[in-house]
Amino acid sequence: MTHFKLSPKQKAARVFSYLFMALCVLVALFPIVWVVLSSFKTNREILSNGLQLPSTFSFSGYKQALEMAPILKFFVNSLIVSFASTALNVLILAMAGYVFAKKKFRFKNLIFGILSLSMVIPSTALMSPVYTVITKLHLYDTKMALILVYTALSMPISLMILRSAFAAIPTELEEAAYIDGAGFFRTFWQVMMPCAKGGLASAAVLAFLESWNEFTFALLLTSSTSTRTLPLSLSYFTSQFSFNYTAMFAAITIAVLPSIIVFSIFQEQVCSSLTAGSVKG
Amino acid sequence: MKQRNTGWIALFLAPTCIIFLLIFAIPLVMVFATSLFDYRLLPRTFEFIGFSNFVKLFTQDAKFLPVLKNTVVWIAIHCVLHVALGTILAFILYKKPHGWKFVRVTYMIPNIISQSAIAMIFLNLYNAQYGALNSLLKAIGLEHLQHNWLFDTATAFPAVTMTWFIFAGYTTTLVLAQCLSTDESIIEAAKIDGATSFQIDRLVMFPLVKRMIGTTVIMAATYMLQMFSMIYITTGGGPGVSTANLPLYLYTTVKANNYGYANSIGVVIIIVGFITMTLINRLFGMNKED
Repeated sequence: MTHFKLSPKQKAARVFSYLFMALCVLVALFPIVWVVLSSFKTNREILSNGLQLPSTFSFSGYKQALEMAPILKFFVNSLIVSFASTALNVLILAMAGYVFAKKKFRFKNLIFGILSLSMVIPSTALMSPVYTVITKLHLYDTKMALILVYTALSMPISLMILRSAFAAIPTELEEAAYIDGAGFFRTFWQVMMPCAKGGLASAAVLAFLESWNEFTFALLLTSSTSTRTLPLSLSYFTSQFSFNYTAMFAAITIAVLPSIIVFSIFQEQVCSSLTAGSVKG
Repeated sequence: MKQRNTGWIALFLAPTCIIFLLIFAIPLVMVFATSLFDYRLLPRTFEFIGFSNFVKLFTQDAKFLPVLKNTVVWIAIHCVLHVALGTILAFILYKKPHGWKFVRVTYMIPNIISQSAIAMIFLNLYNAQYGALNSLLKAIGLEHLQHNWLFDTATAFPAVTMTWFIFAGYTTTLVLAQCLSTDESIIEAAKIDGATSFQIDRLVMFPLVKRMIGTTVIMAATYMLQMFSMIYITTGGGPGVSTANLPLYLYTTVKANNYGYANSIGVVIIIVGFITMTLINRLFGMNKED
């Protein structure tokens, strides 16, 4: 790499760097690899030595896991809830973000200030009243309840990302659309929205991750298999699979693998969304 | 033109405002209001008792102060050590050593999969019978160090802490992005002036990314203040309340049908959050415009 001779101090720094990097990779991968490998072992193998490699690669654990618990049902529930809440969140916050970025109206700063409150309230503090509100709306144990709550949970970050995304679009573009005869809605939908693509994507990625992984409100607001989501299904495995460790490890693998695959494909997008969210939030 | 737009503006704001009202504003008012009531269902009770819930929390409830202490200690550990871990890695990676991209992506994986999956993985890693940790200790002949990690009073707190402390990929990603976006000529100039790599890190790079580190500290604090699932799945707060935090205690109080009392815990969470954020903002000068 370098043409200069390294001093002992620099060498030590370099060794430390690589050791530290190796340790971080080990910490991140070991637990997952251990679970995946264990999912191929028999119960007896798991109990006799936790670190031994599986003797054969059998998928029977996966078959049993899918038979013993409605994992696919939970998976589909998670997909529906996450896609619906992400779409709803991005759509309504794009509308709000556009108005806050580009329009002048009375009480604008006041309304924005109040909405920004959602950023500083820890949502877990609101568990009990959110439960009450959802029950009063007759939405307890429905997917709609989760869609509504998740739309709200991602509200603060989406509002910040989308407001600055619209603010960055030159106002001339908007004026040109007006002069060409486009109304309020058409200007927003056909001119502004395509220009805010980057911000929309960032907000969508963050909202989707939040909904896909959320646990607390899912536990609080649902009770039946027809509404429960994937993160919850895992805690349910502890009792369901008490004596079938192979199936339990298989179930965990089924739960984490899709996220890892999707992340590996979209990692650039995910990382830039996270960065966008933090800068604006 | 202006006149006609008012309707559109209201229409565009309405959905956001309605959801904000339902999920944030009304619940927020309810948390503060009902924290002053003895409020239960079955049998239905709704009686104004002033600050009695708070008095009870701080003077009579043997569980509350340990739970509050756990929460505060965890926030402190997360804000300082966890962020330091992520930042050190970012400072290593921005110099683009071999494999830096691989490390960045890999270290992020535990932050992308759900907390409940991580919790389930650790429940097994720590298992007394077949867990990887005890198996490893056995393999290297340190059987006397084996524990029932999550369920032994002596080890439960550090064992639970490890399930989130070591995964600082989020911090690394953010600080690294900030490091990489700084003007390379600044670093080059420092090098020409004869600054060592450590001096560049400390005197040039650190001040440039300080605000971003402040942001990750805020995120770390928020994360810990909301932590629920990993404790719920691994230890359930036990043994006793040795690994319980405020959200978990709030949840169990709700489940015990004691809503007014639960909401007074909610008020404490909001206040702890407010104090923490104010402190962090002061410390990192986040309120100053540049």
